[in-house]
Amino acid sequence: MAGDYAVQVVELVKRYGDVAAVDGLSFAVGRGEIFGLLGPNGAGKTTTLEIIEGLQRPDSGRVRVLGLDGAAQGREIKARIGVMLQASSYYEYLSLAEVLSLLGGFYPRRLPPGELLELVGLADKARRRVRQLSGGERQRFALAASLVNDPELVILDEPSAGLDPLSRRELWGLVRRVRERGATVIVTTHYMEEAEESCDRLAIINHGRLLAEGSPRELINRIVSAEGGAAYAVKLVTAGPLTGAQLDVLGRCAIAAPIADGNTCLMRLSSHPAALQDLLDEAGRSGVVLEQLEITPVTLEDVFIELTRG
Amino acid sequence: MLAITVANIKMMARNRQGLFWALVFPLLLVTVFGLFDFRGVTPAGLAVADFSGGFKAELLRERLAGVAFLDTEELEPEAPGALAEARQRLADGDLGYLLLIPPGLDDPAAENLAGAVEPVTLVYATRNPERNQLVEGAVHSLVIELRSDGQPVLPQRLVASEVIETPEVDYFDTVLLGLLGLGIMTNSIISIAVRISVYRNQAVLKRLLVTPLPVWKFFAGEIAAHLLLAMAQALIILGVGVLVFGASIPGNLGWSLVIVLLGAVVFLNIGFILSAWARSPAAASGMGNAVALPMMFLAGTFFSTASLPWLLPYAALALPLTPMLDALRAVAINGASLWETWPQLAALAGWAVATAAVAVRVFRFS
Repeated sequence: MAGDYAVQVVELVKRYGDVAAVDGLSFAVGRGEIFGLLGPNGAGKTTTLEIIEGLQRPDSGRVRVLGLDGAAQGREIKARIGVMLQASSYYEYLSLAEVLSLLGGFYPRRLPPGELLELVGLADKARRRVRQLSGGERQRFALAASLVNDPELVILDEPSAGLDPLSRRELWGLVRRVRERGATVIVTTHYMEEAEESCDRLAIINHGRLLAEGSPRELINRIVSAEGGAAYAVKLVTAGPLTGAQLDVLGRCAIAAPIADGNTCLMRLSSHPAALQDLLDEAGRSGVVLEQLEITPVTLEDVFIELTRG
Repeated sequence: MLAITVANIKMMARNRQGLFWALVFPLLLVTVFGLFDFRGVTPAGLAVADFSGGFKAELLRERLAGVAFLDTEELEPEAPGALAEARQRLADGDLGYLLLIPPGLDDPAAENLAGAVEPVTLVYATRNPERNQLVEGAVHSLVIELRSDGQPVLPQRLVASEVIETPEVDYFDTVLLGLLGLGIMTNSIISIAVRISVYRNQAVLKRLLVTPLPVWKFFAGEIAAHLLLAMAQALIILGVGVLVFGASIPGNLGWSLVIVLLGAVVFLNIGFILSAWARSPAAASGMGNAVALPMMFLAGTFFSTASLPWLLPYAALALPLTPMLDALRAVAINGASLWETWPQLAALAGWAVATAAVAVRVFRFS
């Protein structure tokens, strides 16, 4: 059975002093999946990835990567995976092609730099230096660098952070192509839309613990059915901050407690046709001045906020 | 590993500014020192061995003591080994001149028979021809004045010269090797400390750690590239010193480069150690200078450490640059063979092992 998984993480614990960055985390990544590891800042995502990559040792727990034991077969694992770190740069005085051939030289199996640059659309910049690239190009290059050994598993830590929307779309297109070539991908991101669109399965973690695991659809459906068929996510923008009493009144119309932040308030409504009417009536009666009302289907972002709040 | 070394050399060559200063800074110093004329300024030591003890001999000694560019000292002529020791110091360049005043100088019977008596003998090395002429002339005129009583005499009967053949060495040659050591030291320490610090700050080290590259190969690649740079630096400094400023390096160049390499290993290790403590490249550079500059003065780069006050000469002996320079000067200037400098090489090797052990302990990747 173990052979069916690209990565298995079992009861992983990593402490820094008194703080447990990873606290009994277990999940599994199937071969050929794009697996999203989601969680707020400081949830333990990067620590978990670094343990899988062999950069850190867990205090307890077990990791199996591509059927190999994380504790004993670190070098073999490193040879067969590709890693894009959150913030790493490359040798300043080497060209893109030179960096790729130097890195490739560290692996028993390697792809030619030209092919890698072609893949990420940087073939015409082979002789440039990394610092001459734009932010989007730099991330695409880092992705190419993580593919030098034609890895079976690629780990991408926030590959789209800080990019403009177009660059983000390009990057995710590339991530999907990497999977099409047969690799398994583990990726972290703070953009829920991207995760919902591109990930086959997800794990949402916080404080080093697993909160939910499954496909984006499953996670959304789970929250919807847990709430007796919540159908809509509603976002209210009010003229001024809501008072506690107003929040209570509105909350009675919603499924689960509303989340208020300044002038905006997020809540979910049941699919019952009267639910929205009730909400608007209650709002009017308690003197809430609505400036904007947004009704959308429940998204992964709603799931994420619901799971990680408080 | 070869690939890493080649890549490192490429990067060094492309870091034009860094490379330029690594090579040019010592050359600037070579130029500054090369433009001075040290022969005119260095005072010479003169040891006088007075076998006469008479009035004229005393007068001669007094007159010599009055010569501005001579530091005279008295030798006890009867003391065993005193003369041999003085000759040795002459050969080593620690003493400028030795004057032997014969018993006959104050012998009344010999006064009118100048040719029959032993002449005053001036012993000197070939090291400093202009100054030799000056001193010889001064001694001649003083002796003639004392001996001739106004009569014309043949000076060569009164003063004999004994010349010790030594390789042509002057202060500039000594300083050139000091500058060579200085260049290798500062470049190795600061370059490695800054590079590693930059790699760490930009997470290059972390990126390498996620590859299966064994850590020792990373270090080997860095060290190999820097040793090659050190060799290039040594050849450039010596080349400019010899070809442009006329220094003479009669010793074995190959042995000298071996010493340079051994010293460079020690300084690279120190650079690795500093990089572990420095939180930023700027701090690494400052720490490198803080280590290198005092060592430059204490180790006798420009001056003999003998002139340092109190215990500092002994402290200087404990620094790695001191044995490196001693060995370099012995081999390159005095023509010693490599194994004659074994105490210095052993000290350097000890430093290399000790600093490597510390570097391995304190090094951190992130």
